[in-house]
Amino acid sequence: MNFEVPIGPQHPIHVEPLMLRLKVEGELIVDADVDVSYIHRGIEKALELRPYIQGLYLVERICGICNAAQSLCYCLNVEQLLGKEAPPRARYLRIVVEELSRIHSHLLWLGHYLHTLGFETLFMYFWRDRERVMDMLELITGNRVTTAYNTIGGVRRDLPPGAEQKLRRTLDYIEERVRYYEKVIDSEPTILARTQRVGILKPGDAVRMGVTGPHLRASGIKHDVRLDDPYSGHDEIPFNVITWDTCDCYARVKVRLRETSECVNMIRYALDHMPSGDYRLKIPPFFKAPPGESLSRVEAPRGELVHYSISDGGDRPYRYRVRTPTLANLLSVVEMLRSRGDYEVYIADVPAILGGIDPCICCSARILITDEAKKRRMITTLDDIIRFSRGRRVERR
Amino acid sequence: MSEEGLLRKITERFGDKIIEAKVLGKRRVSILVSPDAYKDVVRYAAQDLGLEFLSCLSGVDRGDSLEVVVHLGYSMHVLIKTRVSKDDPAVDSITDILPAASLYEREIHDLLGIAFKGHPNLKRIFLPEDWPEGVYPLRKDYSPEHPKPLRGGEAV
Repeated sequence: MNFEVPIGPQHPIHVEPLMLRLKVEGELIVDADVDVSYIHRGIEKALELRPYIQGLYLVERICGICNAAQSLCYCLNVEQLLGKEAPPRARYLRIVVEELSRIHSHLLWLGHYLHTLGFETLFMYFWRDRERVMDMLELITGNRVTTAYNTIGGVRRDLPPGAEQKLRRTLDYIEERVRYYEKVIDSEPTILARTQRVGILKPGDAVRMGVTGPHLRASGIKHDVRLDDPYSGHDEIPFNVITWDTCDCYARVKVRLRETSECVNMIRYALDHMPSGDYRLKIPPFFKAPPGESLSRVEAPRGELVHYSISDGGDRPYRYRVRTPTLANLLSVVEMLRSRGDYEVYIADVPAILGGIDPCICCSARILITDEAKKRRMITTLDDIIRFSRGRRVERR
Repeated sequence: MSEEGLLRKITERFGDKIIEAKVLGKRRVSILVSPDAYKDVVRYAAQDLGLEFLSCLSGVDRGDSLEVVVHLGYSMHVLIKTRVSKDDPAVDSITDILPAASLYEREIHDLLGIAFKGHPNLKRIFLPEDWPEGVYPLRKDYSPEHPKPLRGGEAV
């Protein structure tokens, strides 16, 4: 007999609202469906209504964790439209902040992922180390989370005095910790049992599903925007693209861990070879972009980020399109959750599989209420909830 | 393959079906094709030219017509565009060639109202289920109401 198990929109395994509908036979999942409609904020439309400089602030708020990648992609896009290029020092400073936020994102994910697998202490450990990275981001950019570092034509500030030594000390610390975590993960039987041969995505399927980022590299495909389409001086910085060929959740953990140490090396190289000179071009805040189209791609922590804009010669974009990596990776979740042949997926594997793509979904607009007894479903809007809450007055005496 | 070489291959094969082909920059190529050849061009690019990775699909309101843009390729980024008229806009679905297109086609259908012929499951993806029929937020004739700030649960 088949049952439908809804997981979400609010559930401990989801960080953000997401609806998973699983069709199960006993414990075995036979079909799955994903609903992401809880998060649409209309940012693409909002970008059409704002001058370019205001769009920058909005774009940074598409995603809290990948904000450095989002703002970098936006700045590259607008610079391309204007036919300008950031000075060499700005390009290297952008790499430093981008890679720092990749370390912070990967550590955050590793902590959260192991937490969903039942490892509270590892969660605390990872997030404690991430805190050191946040301190560095604050030192360089002035902000912990939304860095607001990139701007059209360069970056907002230079490295403050003394920051380089502190940054190098932190990098040494992170490198040592990552080495330790890799040993822990490889010697902990529970982690291995819960991730190995779970959520398998074959390389062929990964390409067919349009998967990107660490998730794609964990399926053994060597693709990284930084390598294939270098955008901010990445062709001058040597780095390894980490791939793993077991194609399971274990591979996703390994790829992200190893990428973290790769980021450390990239930041060190950028600091060693930091060009001198200006860190930004002088571009007036309000300007008209020449007509045309431009496309920029950035390797965000979660995968390939695409910004595509069309200008009609005005002071705001005619159309601004943003494709975030999670949307590209979502389709593969459905594929990985479906049992077929020898490949069996159980309800207990859901957090491991869903977490494996590092989902990033945000902002809620409405709620689905299911009334099991009366077998009916109704959609409740935010306004209805406010009305309900006002109707029921709490009497205090 | 160079940008020009790629353009030459596609224009030689499809001839007058290609309305416009240009190089946008390093590793960026744009091709505008007529709607009847759109699916064949995508198939040729994906299967014969090895651009099997679908980055995304974008929809654009071009004033009197609607445009679908297919973004293909890992290193080379090829934009294959086609335009359809605004009354009853419909384009062939490419989900059978590139399954990854499934979510993006639903997105464009949802926000711009283009029907994709042959899509297995063309339902809403982002907009709420009580969103009025026939209102497409990414079209130019739609202007969002000025958002009202909430105070104490009441719009002021």
